[in-house]
Amino acid sequence: MSRRRIALLLGVLVVATFVTSSTVTAAGDDVGAFSQKKTVTRENVDAFGNASTVDSQDVTLEVDHTKNLQGRERVQVSWSGARASAGRATNPYGENGLAQEYPMVILQCRGRDDSSLSAGKRLSPETCWTSSRQQRSQVADTSAAVWRLDPFATEADRGQVSGVSKVPAGCSSPGADSSLHLTPFKAANGKVYPACSNDTMPPEAAIDGAFPPAEQAAYTGVDGKGETSFEVRSSIENESLGCNESTPCSIVAVPIMGTSCARGTGDLADTNGPCRAKGQFAPGSSNFSGLGVDDAVSPLYWWAESNWRNRISVPITFGASPNVCNVLDSRAPVGFYGTELMSQAALQWAPAYCLRKDRFRFQHNVQPDQASFTLMEQKEAPGAFVSGAQEDAGEDNGSPEYAPTAVTGFAVSYVMDRPDNAGEDSDLKLNARLIAKLLTQSYPASAFGKDHPGLGDNPLSINQDPEFKALNPGLDSIAREAAAVIMSLSESSDVVKAISQYIATDPEASAFIAGKADPWGMTVNPSYKDISLPVSEWPLLDEFIPVMKDDCLKANNDTPYLPRLAAPVTSFRKIAEAVLDAWPLAQTRCTGIGTDLSPYVLGRSERQGVGARMLLGVTTLGDAERFGLRTASLQTSQIPPGGTFSSAAGRTFVGPTRAGMAAAVKTAEQAKRGAPFTLDMEKVRRSKGAYPGTLIVYTAARTAGLEKSTARTVAGFVRTATTEGQRPGSGNGFLPSGYLPITRAGTTAALFTSAQQVAADIEGQVGETATQAPADTSAGIGGPGTDALTDAAATGDDAATDDAPKQATSDQLESLGSTASLTSTLAAWALPLLVLLGLAAGLAGPAMRVLAARRRLR
Amino acid sequence: MTTLPWGRKDSRPANGRRRGDKKPGGVRDVLAEATSSSSMSEREVVVSSGLVVLSVIMLWLVVQMLVLGGLEFSRGQDRLYGQLRAELATGEAPTGGVIAPGDPVALLKLPSLGVDQVVVEGTSAGHMLTAPGHRRDTVLPGQAGVSVLYGRSQTFGKPFQVMLQDALGKDMNVVTGQGTSTYRIEQVRRPGDPVPAPPAAGQGRLTLVTSQGSGFLSALRPGEVVYVDASLRTKSFAGGAARVNTIAKSERPMAGDHSVLPMLALTLGGLLAAVVATPFARRRFGSVLTWMIAAPVVLALAWFAADLTVYLLPNLL
Repeated sequence: MSRRRIALLLGVLVVATFVTSSTVTAAGDDVGAFSQKKTVTRENVDAFGNASTVDSQDVTLEVDHTKNLQGRERVQVSWSGARASAGRATNPYGENGLAQEYPMVILQCRGRDDSSLSAGKRLSPETCWTSSRQQRSQVADTSAAVWRLDPFATEADRGQVSGVSKVPAGCSSPGADSSLHLTPFKAANGKVYPACSNDTMPPEAAIDGAFPPAEQAAYTGVDGKGETSFEVRSSIENESLGCNESTPCSIVAVPIMGTSCARGTGDLADTNGPCRAKGQFAPGSSNFSGLGVDDAVSPLYWWAESNWRNRISVPITFGASPNVCNVLDSRAPVGFYGTELMSQAALQWAPAYCLRKDRFRFQHNVQPDQASFTLMEQKEAPGAFVSGAQEDAGEDNGSPEYAPTAVTGFAVSYVMDRPDNAGEDSDLKLNARLIAKLLTQSYPASAFGKDHPGLGDNPLSINQDPEFKALNPGLDSIAREAAAVIMSLSESSDVVKAISQYIATDPEASAFIAGKADPWGMTVNPSYKDISLPVSEWPLLDEFIPVMKDDCLKANNDTPYLPRLAAPVTSFRKIAEAVLDAWPLAQTRCTGIGTDLSPYVLGRSERQGVGARMLLGVTTLGDAERFGLRTASLQTSQIPPGGTFSSAAGRTFVGPTRAGMAAAVKTAEQAKRGAPFTLDMEKVRRSKGAYPGTLIVYTAARTAGLEKSTARTVAGFVRTATTEGQRPGSGNGFLPSGYLPITRAGTTAALFTSAQQVAADIEGQVGETATQAPADTSAGIGGPGTDALTDAAATGDDAATDDAPKQATSDQLESLGSTASLTSTLAAWALPLLVLLGLAAGLAGPAMRVLAARRRLR
Repeated sequence: MTTLPWGRKDSRPANGRRRGDKKPGGVRDVLAEATSSSSMSEREVVVSSGLVVLSVIMLWLVVQMLVLGGLEFSRGQDRLYGQLRAELATGEAPTGGVIAPGDPVALLKLPSLGVDQVVVEGTSAGHMLTAPGHRRDTVLPGQAGVSVLYGRSQTFGKPFQVMLQDALGKDMNVVTGQGTSTYRIEQVRRPGDPVPAPPAAGQGRLTLVTSQGSGFLSALRPGEVVYVDASLRTKSFAGGAARVNTIAKSERPMAGDHSVLPMLALTLGGLLAAVVATPFARRRFGSVLTWMIAAPVVLALAWFAADLTVYLLPNLL
């Protein structure tokens, strides 16, 4: 017994040591995953007054992240244990989702579901956003107004006119045999919209509003499970709803169980009456043509108390809005220019700088890589975000160095619906040749493109391409203009360079561009044949103008057809939002009747209908993660051009995961201190698990000629960004999803070390300038008064020009370079190893005895 | 120790009268007894006990380093403080020249954090069990030039752990035989950070060297050497007589001291002898008496052996 006690004592000591040495995690890395279980019921009262529970389900709802959300961010909502839906609508959003049975209604509401709060801060159906009147307010024959029999509703809510005390001005009163229920919308500014007609809805609910509906009646499978992405709206997108950092909001999920029914008179209360209806569709079925459903089990009456009481409320918080620094910080911003790959990180980082008086006001201005690099070299900007080596501007470039600041990349984001209402495709595989086909506009897209010389025999769009079908079976083959191109950037960017490098280093893709037909006979658009890659700016080379017959199209037929389809834009964000909304950028929709009042106008094509969406676009990983877009896996194995194939077998595809990015970073090499790391596409492909779209973003800054305070600012930024800024999380100053954290140890250790070195070089301004003065004046342009350290540094390590006299004497300061790394494996592992061995042996010994004792008992 | 069959209730009389029996009280006898009582084969008993012994040794080492070492450090500091105090009072505290390793040379004081540490001369692992060590080829604290101190970060009192966080930006007073100097603790320097320029003539700097871990279980894995620079704010003192030119390998950062191996072997031998002798003594003199005599002996030997083992580990651990 005593040995057990001693072992226990030792164990307690060891555990205590662990506990006291564990660190406290900061709050900003908590993304607020949510899970709640609730029993939901439908309870009817029959004609004799007997109450019975018709249906009861234990619903568990989960949301993957709920904290520090940004406008338009999508959260993943999943649930289980719900009643299986029926009559599935193709489009579950807004009023289109109403013709379904037993769906999960998901809404965004202002306020919290907390009875301890004052009424103004609590959520109610009146603070829940819907984008149409039909979802809020109902007029029905009294014989069909099921809400009037709701046993859980108050007496007032069961009257002929309910939801409001009297019919508001602008709304018509119901007839003698009708009943009216209004669910007015209370806007954040206090204004109440009666919501009895389209004209009495909040302005954001206008037909063809700027944003498509976000609320949805989502579908539960026959196994009781369901999942969907839910897009939240901040006060920037929806001022009436008004959710922001200071106004708490919730996502409310109402599992539709059917309205409960009390005892009553007339047809309504009949055993087979509308109130007790159980649905017309079988569980799991689809309702393609939008046939009528039993209202009692449809999402129409989500606001009725018997449905509403079943709700699960998910509190959400919004992060600092993008303009928080403009509002709260009056200091002049320090503008870093550069790649859009940084925008999502900068969005979360900026408040961590501007809200602290001891830091500066950080601002990220999106600019093409090379342009921002040149700005930096010309001292127009303190630093530039670039994702690769840039060309020097020439004289007096200030010996710029590159500090690794973020690891992220590009993604081919897409939205594709499987045919027959089977939901979205979630595993798209693309190879370099398919991307090359899209970028070179080799799909003719429609009958107009068929006339293009050389494209007549090509598949119309990517989903008709046998190569695409082989890699992605199970998608439809209906030709679409939007699926003939990939939405891309019109500006110069290192991302475009990386994509073209990916194509250029792939044998199949480069052979295709060189003019070799693919195994199924598809050939490259002759305008792009033999285009030399890589390029930083994808050119629009096609000049084919088809013959149009339609009057409207004829009137606007002065630009080439395929470039109009490709319609590249100036920012990745626009592409991301286009994918999010399934709204192609193609400028091919012609409206108007040709009169002066309504001229023929060529504009952006229509949104794709849910159920038949097919759209691809190049986005940043940060945007893709923020908006919850699906991203394609890219082929990494290099296959020499050969025969046809019918499946993805034998090819490896890697998606933009952290592991994929880490594997890519592992292949990166640095030529010398301060230089950017090169991500050689050949090596990336060889290491099977590396994601080819990985890019390292650097903060490039001058190491000479920068004013001392600016140098310190930039160096401080690099240090903060590579330490504090690399903690994953959604809070201010944390690193959003879509970025691989750069850490002191591990795969990204080399990047970290390099960043610290460059920060030191920038702060010390150790570089040489073209206009370097003799050593008796200071190295910096700051003139006399630059501190001795800078002076000495210029003559030290990177030893200045040959004519600089050697003055590194003992009485003059000299830079000693950087602190060498000295590590000890023994020191790093002695204690954990001892603890581990001790615990293992300590468990194994007694365990043997216990086993022996058990054997004896048997 | 817990595996030794001291604690087991003996059914036989413990008066040693069984001396004439076959194999009286031998190891085999004990094993047979254990085997019979738990139905384990002899080999299983040996392996199981061996594992428990191994576990106890390992965990003892860990506990010694993390917990008991703290006691040892405090006691050592007490002793060194007394010695330094006496030397300061009589003017005998060293100011330069060759100082015997292990002698106290300075007192570090960070009043706001309650830090009060005596620094000893020499930086080998053994000297640093009870105090931070002063690197012998650098000037003494307070003198012009760079003075280097080593300190453990996670074991034996963790003297320099405080320097990595709380002490940053604070003023530290250092008392030596020449008087009191004030240093401002300025920065933590990790690999890749620029080395500050050497102090100008007449200026002084104190570099504190310790270790730090990163990543998972970082507190238990201080594998990387980090430096804390402090600059002298007060007037520097003149350097004393010439210092040693070179130091032993065991005094470099992260080095272990292997010169203790013979001593360790002897101690372990002694420990083994004590452990083996104990059960026999118990049969001869009874449990109570044996416990009284053997427990302190074994504990002291175990403590000493663990200390010597730590000599072999990196000195900044």
